Amino acid sequence: MEAPPESPSLPPVDPAAGVPPRGEARSGAGEPLPDSLAARVENAVSIALLVGMAVLPLLEIVGRRVWRTGIPGSNALVQHATLWLGCLGGAIAARDGQLLSIGRLADRFPEPYRRILSAFTAAVSTAISLLLAWSGFQLVRAEWADRHYVVPILPLWVAEAVIPAGFLLIAWRLVRSSSRDGWTRAAVAAAAVAGVAFVGSGVILGTVPFAAALVTLLLAVILGAPLFAALGGLAVLLFRHADVPLASISAEIYRIVTSPTLPTIPLFGFAGYVLTVGNVSRRLVRFFRAFVGWMPGGIAVVTVLVCTFFTTFTGASGVTIVALGGILLPALLVERYPERFSLGLLTSSGSLGLLFPPCLPVILYGVVAGIAVDKMFLGGLLPGILLTAIMSAWAAWGGVRAGARRTPFSVGELGAAAREAKWDLLLPVIVLVGIFGGIATTVEAAAMTVLYAVCVEAFVHRDTGLRKLLREAGTETSRLVGGFLLLLAAATGLTGYMVDAGVPQAIFEWVRQTIDSRFTFLLVLNVFLLVVGAFMHIFSAIVIVVPIIAPLAAAFDVHPVHLGIIFLANLELGFLMPPVGMNLFMSAYRFGKPFGEVCRSIVPFLLILLAGVLVITYVPALTTALLPK
Amino acid sequence: QTVVKMATLAPEGSSWYRVLQEMGEEWRKASGGAVVLRIYPGGVAGDEDAMIRKMRVGQIQAAAITGIGLAYLDRSFYALHIPMMYASDEEFDYVRDRYAPVLEKHMAEKGFVVLNWGDAGWVHFFSKMPVVTPAEAKALKLFMWSGDTTLVQLYKETGFHPVPLSTADLLPSLQTGMVNGFSSTPLASLAFQWFGLAPNMADLRYAPLTGATVIEKKAWEKIPAELRPKLLEASRAAGKKLRVEIRRLNQEALAVMVKNGLKVHDVPPEVQAQWRKMVEDIHPRVRGNIMPAEAFDAVKGYRDEYRAAQSTRKDEAR
Ligand code: NA
Ligand code: NA
Repeated sequence: MEAPPESPSLPPVDPAAGVPPRGEARSGAGEPLPDSLAARVENAVSIALLVGMAVLPLLEIVGRRVWRTGIPGSNALVQHATLWLGCLGGAIAARDGQLLSIGRLADRFPEPYRRILSAFTAAVSTAISLLLAWSGFQLVRAEWADRHYVVPILPLWVAEAVIPAGFLLIAWRLVRSSSRDGWTRAAVAAAAVAGVAFVGSGVILGTVPFAAALVTLLLAVILGAPLFAALGGLAVLLFRHADVPLASISAEIYRIVTSPTLPTIPLFGFAGYVLTVGNVSRRLVRFFRAFVGWMPGGIAVVTVLVCTFFTTFTGASGVTIVALGGILLPALLVERYPERFSLGLLTSSGSLGLLFPPCLPVILYGVVAGIAVDKMFLGGLLPGILLTAIMSAWAAWGGVRAGARRTPFSVGELGAAAREAKWDLLLPVIVLVGIFGGIATTVEAAAMTVLYAVCVEAFVHRDTGLRKLLREAGTETSRLVGGFLLLLAAATGLTGYMVDAGVPQAIFEWVRQTIDSRFTFLLVLNVFLLVVGAFMHIFSAIVIVVPIIAPLAAAFDVHPVHLGIIFLANLELGFLMPPVGMNLFMSAYRFGKPFGEVCRSIVPFLLILLAGVLVITYVPALTTALLPK
Repeated sequence: QTVVKMATLAPEGSSWYRVLQEMGEEWRKASGGAVVLRIYPGGVAGDEDAMIRKMRVGQIQAAAITGIGLAYLDRSFYALHIPMMYASDEEFDYVRDRYAPVLEKHMAEKGFVVLNWGDAGWVHFFSKMPVVTPAEAKALKLFMWSGDTTLVQLYKETGFHPVPLSTADLLPSLQTGMVNGFSSTPLASLAFQWFGLAPNMADLRYAPLTGATVIEKKAWEKIPAELRPKLLEASRAAGKKLRVEIRRLNQEALAVMVKNGLKVHDVPPEVQAQWRKMVEDIHPRVRGNIMPAEAFDAVKGYRDEYRAAQSTRKDEAR
């Protein structure tokens, strides 16, 4: 990421201020190879994929009007491009040492223990990557039998082949980065193959070998194995122990990563990086300072409101951090908000707004629970305002406490700032007109955002050339999306196991038998949903959990809309739950912060929001007041 | 003990789910507890293409699935869903019962055993403004599932304005006006609340939608040979029961929707004839393109056979 030139009207501001070099979030010890041919090809392909993902939906919008049916199969292509970008990006993240891990305990040991422990960690991670590649290979083989096509020239098995290919590439890179010494690398590879043979054999069906494998995995994770290996490894071991084919993991990864709304993540992320590479942050910071900089905590409140607004129409919480984080973090830092406070504020604000229209999870909830969508939105209005209001209040108070700077109000400066930032400020209007004007789906609106952002940066402000813009933004996006989708894929495998084993049903069977008061039921529901929200993709959580809890809640006399709002509010919070909340991953990636630091930074915000969710849970009137009788 | 894992889109507590549950109970009794059916309802295993994929890789063994999902495996299934081909439940039952053995043979070649045939009801047109004639339907921005490009292309060539989207997009797109019509069974339209945003329905049985319960062949053959006929019998009984039940429930769903503001528009016989003509005009493009020619010819043959028998019976009565 490049620092934009400084404006004379502002104190020095560097969007990368406080962002450590890329190495800190990494887990491998190997050197990145920025100039190798393979690396350049990988980067170019990922950028081409991103540009294609943005162009196809745009052609679709035009095509629908001009030749009525748009581009045949364009949805399917864009959804599969997400899968390819995810697999390629995962390999790129591995190449650049950007695989997220919980911590690196191994580094605290003296040599030679450190080297041995690192090799052990690498061997375990490599074994898991190989097992996941094997799972992908089995899926491809099964698909090959059916000879389906994504679009007439693209067989489905070819599209799926990126899953095993991506995991193989990751395995190769884990071995490569495990050590500089060839013999150690060979030992890591041999140990990984032995691990695969052990897990692949029938031995794992026994309790003792299974437990031993679990302990090995846990040890590797504590010592610093990447998080995707922790989640994916757990899925692999559980599926193997239950004697369910490993291809189940890849089948579920394929299903989730090609789901219709997921392309919004790379697209909005791309748009966000394009704006960041350009100078939008400087222009917006100037505007917001002129606008609300005179208020105590003004910029912090703006941060909350902008994030809420953005999440509301993207419907996906992590997207907000990707798209806006790079703009808002420097805006906060330049006003002398403490770094940890700013990090926590952005990470937690990234999940606000899930209760307002036209947010997709609300619509999906209404659909699954059989509740009219407008009722869901009416019910969510006051609870949504409550959560946003307490966050704003806390943000303002944080600003006051930290003695953040205030700027005297000036009409002239506001006008000048608004003129300079007018194209950037129009961005949300484009998206809203696209969606509410019936022109575009969410994915298409995301593609429109990319186009608009590129046009504004490359042709209106002309701070950065088009090539450089696409190259820098594209590489950053694919690295981020790859790392994120790799985690989503691994978590998906684990979710798949829980569904397969009937875990949610078992929990609720237990609840049905042990809990008899409504008060306790709601409390248990809160805890359960927080865990669900941390582990599951929000759409999967709705589809899987709602049908199980809805009848239970009815038995405890909970209003169906109230249940829906409790559900969504908890899931919103689940995004922030250490150690697996998706927003934490997103934030660590976007800001290049150690995972532990992100977790610590959100604690006060998490507690505030938790209080809000409890109010929503135990004051049903907040939800039901606006509903028609 | 053999555990058979079965996925379905039918939500927990729905009548389809209940019938499957009863079938599982029958299986348990018939096998003396040796075969247990575990159901994954409400699409937790994914859409129907994902169910087929998961049967292929061996995560699940069986699925209760619609004919459109099965067309993903074998396009001959489209023959049972040709619009305006079948005039009544009886006519459709006649054709389906006769053509089913052929489809079952195709499925066997693909590695699946059909346990029973169910029913999902008749597909109707729902829209924001009243729609009765084919011309009015063609003017709609019609939602279509984007998964089958050939089918979307055919609708386009017929003069429709299909908007290919994913099913998840239907509700928000109806809300924003990106689409203003769709076709579905009354039961689904009520269950997913789609009718709320498109409160007009043409009283036209556009096409039937079948369902079937299938099991992966290897999993089926793992069940002891002497048990299989008993399980099959229990499954067939469940299928018959489901057929009756679903037809009743579609009627009920219609009544509930009417009570909640759905307007049902009568389609007079001469307009029905227009609809038939529209579809029959494109039969040459359907036959051999959307579905294999022999599938098309077979169902049309059975239908004509039924109609001939009916008119003979009427003549005799006279
Ligand atoms: Na999908
Ligand atoms: Na999903």
